[in-house]
Amino acid sequence: MNYLLPDRLDRLAREYALGTLAGPARRRFERLLHQTPAAMLAVGAWQERLASLASTVPAMQPSGSVWRALEHRLFISSARAASAPTRPPQWLWGLLSGRAFGGALAGVLLCALLLRLQPGLIGMEPESDVLPASYVGLLTDAAGTPTVLASSKRHGRRLTVKLLQPVVIPAGSVAQLWALPKDGSAAFPVGAVPVTGSATVALADTSEKLFFNVSRLAVSIEAAPAKAGDKPSGDFVLSGHCVKLW
Amino acid sequence: MPADEDLAALLPRVALSDRAAFEQVYRATCAHLLGVAFRILNNRERAEEVLQEAFVNVWHSAAGFNASVAGPMTWLINIVRNKAIDALRAGKTERVSTIALDDEVLAVAADEAQQPQELLDQSLTKLRITGCMGELGASQRQALALAYYRGMVHTEIAQALRAPLGTVKAWVRRGLDKLKACLEAAEVRRGPLP
Repeated sequence: MNYLLPDRLDRLAREYALGTLAGPARRRFERLLHQTPAAMLAVGAWQERLASLASTVPAMQPSGSVWRALEHRLFISSARAASAPTRPPQWLWGLLSGRAFGGALAGVLLCALLLRLQPGLIGMEPESDVLPASYVGLLTDAAGTPTVLASSKRHGRRLTVKLLQPVVIPAGSVAQLWALPKDGSAAFPVGAVPVTGSATVALADTSEKLFFNVSRLAVSIEAAPAKAGDKPSGDFVLSGHCVKLW
Repeated sequence: MPADEDLAALLPRVALSDRAAFEQVYRATCAHLLGVAFRILNNRERAEEVLQEAFVNVWHSAAGFNASVAGPMTWLINIVRNKAIDALRAGKTERVSTIALDDEVLAVAADEAQQPQELLDQSLTKLRITGCMGELGASQRQALALAYYRGMVHTEIAQALRAPLGTVKAWVRRGLDKLKACLEAAEVRRGPLP
């Protein structure tokens, strides 16, 4: 069955959003939803309409045990597990929360410098707390709001691109990430910024080879994903420094 | 309900594992969201379990929030409704497989039809689309209310309203179409929101 015919998609989207789509059909549609932006948008539109019916539902204060259980599950037991963190560590938030990236950047560089001069400082920490040598880029929009976080291990061949706030990407276009070498030579394409959440981009070479001379990253809106040798077709909508973390 | 702008600013911080932002989102929305789960499950304990599961989900998938697809409150309501609907249906299967189906469904039917209808009517008044939605028959509005507030599927609505399945499907479809049209007309009347 072709789910993507507009009429059929809208029918499924509204039944899904309402909840009347049930059983295996619901599960199948859920899988499709995660893979298809058109389905996500159709469902989003219906959820928005239906959510306007939720405002009159009487509020009920949950008992305190709900929050305590959440804290325990998310923060206490996971800290005890002491497994390698898969989420951005707390310090990274410090880097991002500041309005002025410069200040935060100075902080990170100072940290990096301190760690370099005083490796003993981290000697007492569990190994998982030590950041691997990485390239990190934080892209902000025209207003200076952190919007995209790009990071890759120094010798890795994968770049994680994470959306920190939504980017308006016109239908049929892609948000293309570019690397700008510090010697002013031509920008080269790195990969596409995901529509939501985060994505892993396979790199053409190791980060060290690609980004060693790169001082900035930027995003432009393109009609199609850029290929090697392509140039940005318009202005950058996002840009930021690309820094080495070691 | 909390302002959407505040939540829209908090969720990206939650995506970065900001616990304080997470707690703020929880405090601002938990009472409303528990209400939504409770309407569907009709059981406080189960609704609280669903709320907890939903917020575990919020913590882990806040990066998936995309304001260009749906607003933050819509996103949260949707997580809670989906979890509540799943819990409701999982519970039903369990009950049906462990005890013989009795009159339970019919016993609660009368009350079930009443409350959702009132919630829907209040919402329509608040949205100022009572007149527009009034063009639907009472049964059509009732079918929509049972599906939305109670998480009922077509067969359950048919049972509650004692109507043929095909008719109920048409009622729900028509109810949704009308809701869309009325909201769009109201939007045009009001002009775009600032």
